Formats: sequence, C-alpha cells, structure tokens
Amino acid sequence: MEQELAALTERLAALESSTAMSGTINSEIFYWWCTALMIAIHAGFLAYEMGASRVKNVLASGIKNILAFAFMVPTFYFFGWYIYLSFYNGLLPADDASGLPWELSMGPNLADNATGIFWAAFTLFAATTASIFSGAVIERIQTAGFLILAILLGSVVWILGGAWGWHPTGWLTVKFGYHDVGAAGVVHMVAGFFALGVLLNLGPRVGKFNEDGSANAIFAHNVPFTITGLMLIIVGFFGFLGGCIIYMPGEQWINIYGQPTTLSAFAFNTLMGMAGGIIGAWVKTRDPFWMMSGALIGIFAAASGLDVYYPPVAFALGTFGGFVVPMVAVWLEKMGIDDAVGAFPVHGIGGLIGVVSCGIFAAGYPNVDGMPPVSLWGQIVGAVTMAVLGFVPGYVASYILKVFGLLRVPDHIQEKGLDIVKVPVSAYPETYTPAPVNVATPAAAGTPAE
Amino acid sequence: MNTSPIDSWEGAEAYFTFADKPAVMMLFLLIAVAITFGTIIVAAVHEKHAYNNH
Repeated sequence: MEQELAALTERLAALESSTAMSGTINSEIFYWWCTALMIAIHAGFLAYEMGASRVKNVLASGIKNILAFAFMVPTFYFFGWYIYLSFYNGLLPADDASGLPWELSMGPNLADNATGIFWAAFTLFAATTASIFSGAVIERIQTAGFLILAILLGSVVWILGGAWGWHPTGWLTVKFGYHDVGAAGVVHMVAGFFALGVLLNLGPRVGKFNEDGSANAIFAHNVPFTITGLMLIIVGFFGFLGGCIIYMPGEQWINIYGQPTTLSAFAFNTLMGMAGGIIGAWVKTRDPFWMMSGALIGIFAAASGLDVYYPPVAFALGTFGGFVVPMVAVWLEKMGIDDAVGAFPVHGIGGLIGVVSCGIFAAGYPNVDGMPPVSLWGQIVGAVTMAVLGFVPGYVASYILKVFGLLRVPDHIQEKGLDIVKVPVSAYPETYTPAPVNVATPAAAGTPAE
Repeated sequence: MNTSPIDSWEGAEAYFTFADKPAVMMLFLLIAVAITFGTIIVAAVHEKHAYNNH
C-alpha cells in the first residue's frame, strides 16, 4: 500500500510538472505569434507610406521605414527594456532595476521562458511607435535625423510612458488608477504628439503650402497600396492587442494591471470599435483612405477599455472617433502643418479619445492591490502626461537636429526627388503613366458628406 | 576550438557560446552599439555627400 501511494505521488508530481511546463510553453507560443502578427503592422505602414509618397520618393520612404524597424531592435535591447522594467516610479531607476543587456536573462537561458518573448513583443510595440511617426514626415526628412528621432521615440520615450502607465506598478497606475489596456495613450498618443512636435520644426513638403497660407493637395501615388497597407495594419493589431494581455498558465487571463479579463472581451470590442471607426469616417469623408484610417481610429478610441466595455459602447466610441478625427486633419492643415498621413490626428487624437472616454465609460472599475479605481481625473492626468511626454522630446530633439542641419532635406533635393539622389534602384523603371486624378483628399475631409 | 560554456544540459541555465565571460559579453555589446550608432553617423555623411552632388 505504501509503495502504491509513493508511486501515485510520484506520478502526480510528474503530471503537475508536465502540466506546468505545457502552460509555460503555451504562453511562449502565444507571444511568439503575437510578435509575428505585429510584423504585419510594420509591413502595413511600409505599404501605406510608400503608397502615400509621390513616385519620386517611393523607395526613400520605404528605406526609412525599414530602417526604423532595424534600428528599433538593437536599441530596445540596449536600453528600451531596461527603461520599461526600471523607470516605473518616474525619471530615476527603481531599486530593483533590471533589463540591462548584460543580464543572464537577456539571451539563451533554459531557466527563463519569459524574458525573450516579452522583450520581442515590446520591441514590436516600439517599432509600431516609430512607424506611426515615420509616416508623418515622409518626403522631406533626412535619414540620419529620422533614425535618431525614431530611436528616441521607440526605445526611450514611449517605453517610459509604458513604464509609467502600462506597468503593474507604474506611478500613473498606482497613484491614479490609470487604465489603458490597449495602449491608446502609451503608444498612440505618445507617438502622435511626438510626430506633432517634430513636424513643427521639420516644416511642410516643398509645394504643400502657397505664400498666402492656402494648402495644395499632394496626391498619394498609389491609393490602393495605401489602403491595403492600412488593412494590413489592422491585421497586425490583433497581434498587438493579444500582446497587451497576460497569459497565466492554468488561470484566467489578466490585463497588464493584473485585473482579470478575457481575450474574448478584446475580440468583441476591437472589432466593434474598428467597424464604428470605418462607418464614422465614411459618413464624414466618403474617402477610402479615411475609412481605413477610421478603422484604426475606432480601435484606438476603444483601446483603453477593451477589457471592460459593452461592445456597442466601443462601437459608438469608434464611430465618434472616425467622424471627428478627419476634421482635426483639416484643422491641422489650416494651421500650416503638413502631416502627410494624418499621424497626429489618427494616433494622437484617436488615442486621446480612447484614454479620456475610459474615464467616463469605465469610471469606478476596481483595481487590484488597493490601487485607485478607474476615474475621469486619473484618465485626464494620464492623457496630459502622454501628450507632454510625446510632444516635448519630439519638439526639442528635432529642434537640435534642425540647428545642426540634420533634419530637413534641402528644398532643391525635394524638388528633384529623394530616390534619384540617394537610392541606387528605381521603383518603377519602366514607363509610368500617371492616371487621371480625382479630387478626394484629406484636405476635403472636413466638407459635409454628400 | 571549443566555444561552448557547457558540455551537457544537466543543470544548465544561461549559456552564451563564445561570449561566456563578462569581458567578452561586454566586447560584443560594445561592438553592437558601435555598429548601431556608427551607422547613423555614416548615414549622415553619405546623405550630405549625396545632397552636395546634386
């Protein structure tokens, strides 16, 4: 009898060990595929930017975007992960700082199935922020200046926001109950406001504005490519949002703040927000470019509360965002700011709607470990923090680059085209015949829908 | 030439082949940093050169 009991105990221990290992490996696999899907975001931004560029700048825009991805990976390894894990209290590292590139967890380690896969997912979040910024500055930014700014945004600034408001012990979470599960603030607002800060110093593309301040439409050379790219970004966002929740082997999912949730909640509200955004933008603009941008806006407008909203709320928020944000693009142009792909309106304002509305539609939602519940005040504090955190470094760093002549491509080079000046191959080596041009442009987005 | 810090997986945790000593890890880390940021300097020089030629 004792022998049988000992054998049973041994088998039970083996079974528990096997189940635990299966859970660990399933978790690894989940984030592996989330990361792979997120590469579709970068592919989408690549297509989007190249399509939005004129023929003379197509490949230069593509190179810039590809390089943003390439430089994000090593720099996030060097210091991005360290910032996330160590700066959750503010601007100084915490006592338990970790994530430095010479730690034994930062490479092959049979005792650590988590660090690499989470580092990879966060690196792709970083690449997303750099891509958001990349689109705004096409056709007139120098590559070196762009790379410095992209690294600053992707491997320093947004991840600092992530440490503050997208971390279980970030100060915004602990002190204000800041709730932003889908990163409307920490990714989209930060990237959008960073882009705005840079645009003020970079200036518009040559020919965008007339002397009297009126704007000229600069047409995308390939609108279908741009729209397809936007759809690809939507695909990638399912990886992005999957990467925003924590797989707990053997237990219920939790969000990044430790509150229980489900992937099903994210599925409901992501799709409903996306659909609302498309419809809102369609009603406002009738423009397929804005309809697909509206899909993104809809997701961002619902992103902070993807885990808690009744899906029709996400739909209404998405519709509101999709309707309103194109008007911000028109206003921006009237202010003399040339945001080539609407990065600030779509991400900055779309994210702002998401963060603030969570304080209204999820107010009082409880937090764990005695932290404050969700509140409008906490969300406003978070939104202001993300806006300032994005705008100030973008403005200051681009100003310094401007002073050193590393920011803007000279006007005579812009007129000639960037591809012929610095790219050894041609995008369209055979005859390219421009098609007749239609009138639907972002500039027309503010006009009443027919 | 043997560049593996382990010869079996019994009790193995972190294992970085070749870079198995802090000094070597640091050397390769510095090389990676130099490549990353050195390339940006090269890009700036190349770009100025290209603009001046046009």
